[in-house]
Amino acid sequence: MSQLANYIAQKRQQKPILSMTHVVYGYPTVQESLSWMTRLLEEGVDFIEVQFPFSDPVADGPSIVEACHVALEQDLDVDTFLDDMGKLSRDFPDSRIVLMSYLNPMYRYGLQKLAKRAAEINILGLILPDLPIEASADYIAACKENQVDPIWLVTPVTPKARLEMLASQASGFLYCVARSGVTGHSSHEAKSKQTAMDEYLVHIKAHASAPMGVGFGLRERSHIEALLGKADIAILGSALLDAYNQGGQEEGIKLLRSLFS
Amino acid sequence: MQSNNGFYGEFGGSYIPEILYASQQQILHAFEEIKTDPEFIAELKETWQNYSGRPTPLTFCKNLTEHFGGAQIYLKREDLNQSGAHKMNNVIGQALLVKRMGKKRVIAETGAGQHGVATALIAARLGLECTIYMGAKDVKRQYPNVFWMKQLGATVVPVAEGSQTLRDALDEALRDWSSSHEDSHYLIGTTCGCAPFPEMVAFFQSVIGEEVKEQSKAQFGQYPDRLYACVGGGSNACGLFLPFLEEENVEMIGVEAGGKGLALGQHSIRLSNGLGEKGIAQGFATMFLQDKNGQLQDTHSIAAGLDYVGVSPIIAHLAQIGRIQMTYAMDDEVIDACSLLLKKEGIIPALESSHALAGAFKDAANLPKESRIVINLSGRGDKDIFNVAKAMNDQTFPEFLEDYLADYKEHLNNDEEA
Repeated sequence: MSQLANYIAQKRQQKPILSMTHVVYGYPTVQESLSWMTRLLEEGVDFIEVQFPFSDPVADGPSIVEACHVALEQDLDVDTFLDDMGKLSRDFPDSRIVLMSYLNPMYRYGLQKLAKRAAEINILGLILPDLPIEASADYIAACKENQVDPIWLVTPVTPKARLEMLASQASGFLYCVARSGVTGHSSHEAKSKQTAMDEYLVHIKAHASAPMGVGFGLRERSHIEALLGKADIAILGSALLDAYNQGGQEEGIKLLRSLFS
Repeated sequence: MQSNNGFYGEFGGSYIPEILYASQQQILHAFEEIKTDPEFIAELKETWQNYSGRPTPLTFCKNLTEHFGGAQIYLKREDLNQSGAHKMNNVIGQALLVKRMGKKRVIAETGAGQHGVATALIAARLGLECTIYMGAKDVKRQYPNVFWMKQLGATVVPVAEGSQTLRDALDEALRDWSSSHEDSHYLIGTTCGCAPFPEMVAFFQSVIGEEVKEQSKAQFGQYPDRLYACVGGGSNACGLFLPFLEEENVEMIGVEAGGKGLALGQHSIRLSNGLGEKGIAQGFATMFLQDKNGQLQDTHSIAAGLDYVGVSPIIAHLAQIGRIQMTYAMDDEVIDACSLLLKKEGIIPALESSHALAGAFKDAANLPKESRIVINLSGRGDKDIFNVAKAMNDQTFPEFLEDYLADYKEHLNNDEEA
């Protein structure tokens, strides 16, 4: 079992579902984003998913897109980012940091170097939503060599055979997208179909070789409760960012507690 | 040009979020089917001919030829398409494909609005619902096109994210598609994006070069010596060049937008002077204008249709292997070229196409008199009237605008009172 899957299995012995909270590095400033991550880790979240911003984040909805663009008004570089993550990872050994970014900034940095550096600072999972598994041979090899897990995504419209292939390839955890569309609230949402969630998760579980995280559109306690027994991690992204934008860290923590405690 | 599993050398591919996988596969298969389906090809040709006015002429420019005293200059008249640009070739092809796939809605991105108008035209004709994403800045700069898209029944969504231009419109179109792929088709306007879009758009645009082959044989008994096309996304260049790829004696020159200068943010030169670097974004690998951290950068061109941060993976590959020579033209050279064509030949070129003219005009005088060059006049210039007037410092234009505005407001007031 991978280090990440092992961590999840152990934690799950005490908790019915683990929390993963998403933060955009550099939003609204590097210092403030680090302070927000620290606060979340002090609050005892099991994971933070830290997004290194990219200028053209095509899988994200308006809240996260806006945060990425604000963050990029500063000059952000991957080395400094990883140093910052390394410090957090040392300070909070009971939680885990998962890194998310789009391919281009990481490609420029070097995927081999990224996997190596991630392992050095105990970041055990990498999410690159625009790198499909078919184009990933080098990346997978680099991850394997460094014992870091590439996290794959599946969606309600992933064809059956492909979903089973991705589930069986999963290591660390499998990121199950809860619905069609981009992250968070968006003008595109009305057009997306509500898929039978339970059926979807049961199908994945039958084939998954790793724990399951569920994200996209989770904003209410009932959404999290509906996942109990069916998934291992609930991923809180845009809803948390919206709360943070509305009332800073306090409002964010209030939302977190209302969902998970 | 056939790709190698979606790749052209090291460029192209399909780098899309997992949510789009099934839709992308559907297009891939539908495109494989229609490529060789005689029924589809017949309908495509019928629509090109009777709706868009193909074949477009190959026009010899006697005055320009004498003016430069070098190569004989011909123009491929894509400006004479319905909608006034080569964009029509592709939207007709994709819209017919949409009907075949049984989808009811099309989504498109647009920069200057040419592709948006072309998409709205064909959507109206085929009864498809149509949503056009356009950068908020472009909506302001190109309002006449927005007006026509709306009149044609399209929904125009201004994109206020990022640089508020074509690149952001493309991102937003992809986001829409992520949630609407079951009933919507993403009708991309150029030879960019994930596979099979570059190959498919090039396939539909190749009618340009195929016609030039026939017309040049008929008019002067052989193929041209050199071809010129402007390169934004790369669709009109692919259309003219690709049918000639195997003709080793035919040279091809792509002209990018030099804008105001070579500093980052002032131009859209991705393939010359080592200004662009390989990256992977917006669904494909190509040469992008980006900073050292891999963030895509702002671009500039006087021609909105060339104002794009990436470039077709097909063109990037052909430039890399030396099959196409790349050059660029600055904003002021482009205005001069536009002006020269107006005065010498009585043709109003789009500012995009004027880049190809500027590139060719630099070479024309130094080429042998018996050589023949074909410049792709990808679009007509009516749409550029405001920008050209401003660039030419026309003194009476502001007066016209003020008078027109006063009259317009009075008209609206009278209407309200009545």
